[in-house]
This record gives sequence, structure tokens and C-alpha cells, in this order.
Amino acid sequence: MNNDTNYTDAFAELQQIVNEIESGEISVDVLSEKVKRAATLIGICKAKLSSTEEDVRKILKDLDASEH
Amino acid sequence: MLEKISMPETQRDKQIFSLYEVTRSIQKTIAERYKSSFWVKAEMNKLNHYSHSGHCYPELVEKRDGKVIAQIKANLWKSDYQRINARFLKVTKEHIKDGISILFLASIHFDPAHGLCLRMLDIDPIFSLGELEKEKHESIERLQAENLFRKNKLLSLSLLPKRIAVISVETSKGYADYLKILQGNPWNYRVFNMLFPALLQGDRAVESILYQLGRIKSVHQHFDAVAIIRGGGGDVGLSSYNNYQLAREIAMFPIPVFTGIGHSTNETVAEMVSFKNAITPTELADFILQHFHNFSEPLTNAARLVNTFAEDLLNRKQQQFANSVQLFKIITSNALTRHSAGLKTTSHSFYSKLLLAINTFRHSLRTTHETLNTGAESFLQHQFDSIRQQKSMLGSNASVVHGNEVRKIERLHHSVTLLDPVNVLRRGFSITTDGNGRVVKSVTELKSGQTIRTRLADGTIITEVKKISNHDTHE
Repeated sequence: MNNDTNYTDAFAELQQIVNEIESGEISVDVLSEKVKRAATLIGICKAKLSSTEEDVRKILKDLDASEH
Repeated sequence: MLEKISMPETQRDKQIFSLYEVTRSIQKTIAERYKSSFWVKAEMNKLNHYSHSGHCYPELVEKRDGKVIAQIKANLWKSDYQRINARFLKVTKEHIKDGISILFLASIHFDPAHGLCLRMLDIDPIFSLGELEKEKHESIERLQAENLFRKNKLLSLSLLPKRIAVISVETSKGYADYLKILQGNPWNYRVFNMLFPALLQGDRAVESILYQLGRIKSVHQHFDAVAIIRGGGGDVGLSSYNNYQLAREIAMFPIPVFTGIGHSTNETVAEMVSFKNAITPTELADFILQHFHNFSEPLTNAARLVNTFAEDLLNRKQQQFANSVQLFKIITSNALTRHSAGLKTTSHSFYSKLLLAINTFRHSLRTTHETLNTGAESFLQHQFDSIRQQKSMLGSNASVVHGNEVRKIERLHHSVTLLDPVNVLRRGFSITTDGNGRVVKSVTELKSGQTIRTRLADGTIITEVKKISNHDTHE
């Protein structure tokens, strides 16, 4: 669930930055920092779209554990 | 009655019948008693369809409070079964199967070899349809009463439903369609599917699906959702999905359950209570992809927005800066002009004043100069006059002074003449000098025997000192 939380948080944080941008709350002073952060968050989220980390063996092992 | 159809033996006062005679008698009695067929309401506990012969040997029961209070075996011959099943299927969208309530037309038979049974001649599909509907409504009402009906719908689905536990049949068309859409998506979205194989239709569907739901539940933390996917079954065999137990399990499942059961008739209860019901497995796959789109689109928009914004902001700030510079230029230029004008005025005024001062000074200088000239001239004239006056005065006095002076000089000349040593010598005086020419003024300067020279007016005597005496001694 850690990864989920990460991308969910990343998505939420990105939305936050977008909202700040849209409402004009970002000054030139923090612009560079925010843009850099947004790029990182977009990267995390985009990676999540096209990757899977699930391991069938692990799930089967957990299944076995619950059934015996 | 038995006597009429049999020939019993008699042994030791006992009338004895063969089993056949007895069963034949029963057969005859029943045949006479139950001449016509009649409609019977019962539950089809087991259909017992033998695919090889095509005949069915149903077990019929009647239950009251869960207990079997009546049961009987029945026959459904191949030809009857085919006819009845086709009509039943058409009306109820269900095959005749275990566990359903039926109303059937039967005749009662007894066979010496096979015993008592009901022969099923017809089954009323309308009655079963009603019963199925009744079961469905009961399931719905119960779930609603238990406040479970919307339970699964109220769960929150992960932002990206990308880990799916699939309950399906590996070889089913529905599952293949579902995978094809997900795996062939052109956006490179990755969905993890793990199959939990189950029977999706038929008598054992409920039990089979419940079993896999139980397994998934034990590892549900690995999944975002469950997808129950059935394919290729058409509209037949959906009554399983109205089953209360199955619907309840779906409603109470800890993660969202999707259904893609694939049919065009009314929604089943399982579909009603599921988080998301897709009409087909393909639509279910699209639904999942839509979530990826919903996630991806804001990312693309955010990237675009961030870029545009950063650019805009910089442009805007640059423009503001340029404006400020422009404004600054104007202000400074104005100020410069203003001050320059002031300076010019000041300078002009200064110059005027300076000129005035110079002129004043020059004028004063000229006046002074003139005064000085006039003064000097009159002074010089005065001096000159004074000198001339003195000169003339000097001229008149000079001759008087001159006469006096001449007389004084003549007197002095006479005195000087008198003092000349020659004149003195002439008067009898002499001058004595020593051998070195020094004038001898005292006898103390001389010694006896010394030669001295005595000058007289007309010559010199050289003498030797014989004796020296002082005037004081008077010898």
C-alpha cells in the first residue's frame, strides 16, 4: 500500500500546486522550486501508470498462509 | 385385491405372494387410482440429467422451515426434457437446474422393477420465472433491510485501480476480451490481473464464486478491486447472481467489486450491489482504463499548465520590469529636464548677477582709477611746484653760502700750511729717526752707541748717541 500512498499523495500534492498556480498564489521567488517539484511529482505518477510491482508468488504465499 | 391378479400358493395356512405379484398389484392399483395427470409444485433438488442417455431422474422435495417434509423421484425422458427445457430456457433464461422451484405436470407410476416415481410431462416456466423473480426480490429486500445494499458502492476506489483480482474462467471469451482491451491499450497503461478461476454459471456457480471471493478476501491488501467476469453465456443462467449469499458477500467485500457478466436482461442482484457493473467484460476493461485516463489527463494538463504558467509568469515579470524601466526613464528624463531648466535659469541669473557685479566693480575701478590719476597728477604737480620753488630758493641762497664757505676753506688752508713739517723744521724743529726710520719720540727708545738720523729743514745729520739723559734728572 506504500506505493499507492506515494502516488496518491504525489497526485494530491501535484493538484495542490496546480491549484496554487491557477489561483495565482505562486511568486517568482518560489516558482523554480515549485516547477521542479511538480516535474518530480508528474514523474512519479506517470511511472505508476505504466508499471506494475505486484508479485504473484508473494500473493500466493500469503494465500497459502491464510489457508493453512 | 391381490387375488384378482395373482395366483397365490397356500402353505401351512399361509397365503404367499411373490414380490412380482405384489409389485404388479401395486402397479395395477396405482394405475387405476391415478389415471390422469396433475400439476405438482415442488423444488427441483437435483435434476440428475444423464448426458449420455439424455434422460433425467430428478429428485423432488418439499421443504418446510428448512426441513424436507416430502420427497420423491421422478423421470423426465429425453424427448420431454428437450422440449420442456427449450421452452423453459426461452421464458426464464435459465436451464432447468438444481434448486429451483417448479410447477410440473406429472403422472404417477409404479414399476415393479423401479418402484414409485412421478413422470414429468411438462414444466410451467412462468411459475419458475415468478419464483426466480421472487428470489431476486427477496435478496434485494433482505440486503436493503440489513443496510448492506450500497455497502460496496460506498467504498473508495484507488486512484488507479491497477491490481485486479479476476474471478473468471481462463478460457472464457469474456476474460479474453477483458484482457485484450487492458493489455492492448495504446497508452501503455499497465494493469496487474490475477485470475482466481471459478465456474461462472450452472448449479455450482454460487459456491465456486463464493470460494474464490473468500480466498481473495484473505489477500485483499494486494488488490485494488475484484472483477467478476463472465463471458459467452448470453442471457442464460443468471439466476445465480440473484443469490442472496453471493450478493451479500459482494456487498460486504472489503474492496470494490466490479461485475462484467455480459447480458442484456435486467440487472442481477450481484450486479446491483457491486461497486461498478459493466454490461460486458469489454466495458469493464474500458472503465478501468478510464480511471487511468482520469489520472493521466491531469498530469498532462499539469505539465502543460506548469510550463505555460512559468513562461507566462516570466514574460509578465519581464514586461513589468521593462515597463518599470520605461517609467524610470521617463521620470528621470522629466526630472532631468526640469532640473536642467532650473539650472539654466539659475545659471542665467547667476551670470546676470555676475555681469552686474563685474560691471559695478569695473565702474568702481574706473572711478578709483580716475580719482587716482587726478590725485597723482595734482600731487606730482604739487611736488614739482614745491621742488621748483625750493630750487629757486636754493639758487638765491647758494652764492651767500658759497662766499662763506670759500673763506672758511682759505682759513683752513692757512692753518694746514702752518702745520706742514717743512715749515716746522724751518722754524728750528727737527725729526729724529732710528736706524730703521722710526720716529724717536722718547729717549727710552735709544741706546748709547746707536746711530740716529736727524732731519732738518734742509738736510739730515747722522749721529752716534754718546749719552742719554732725561730732562727730569737735569744734569
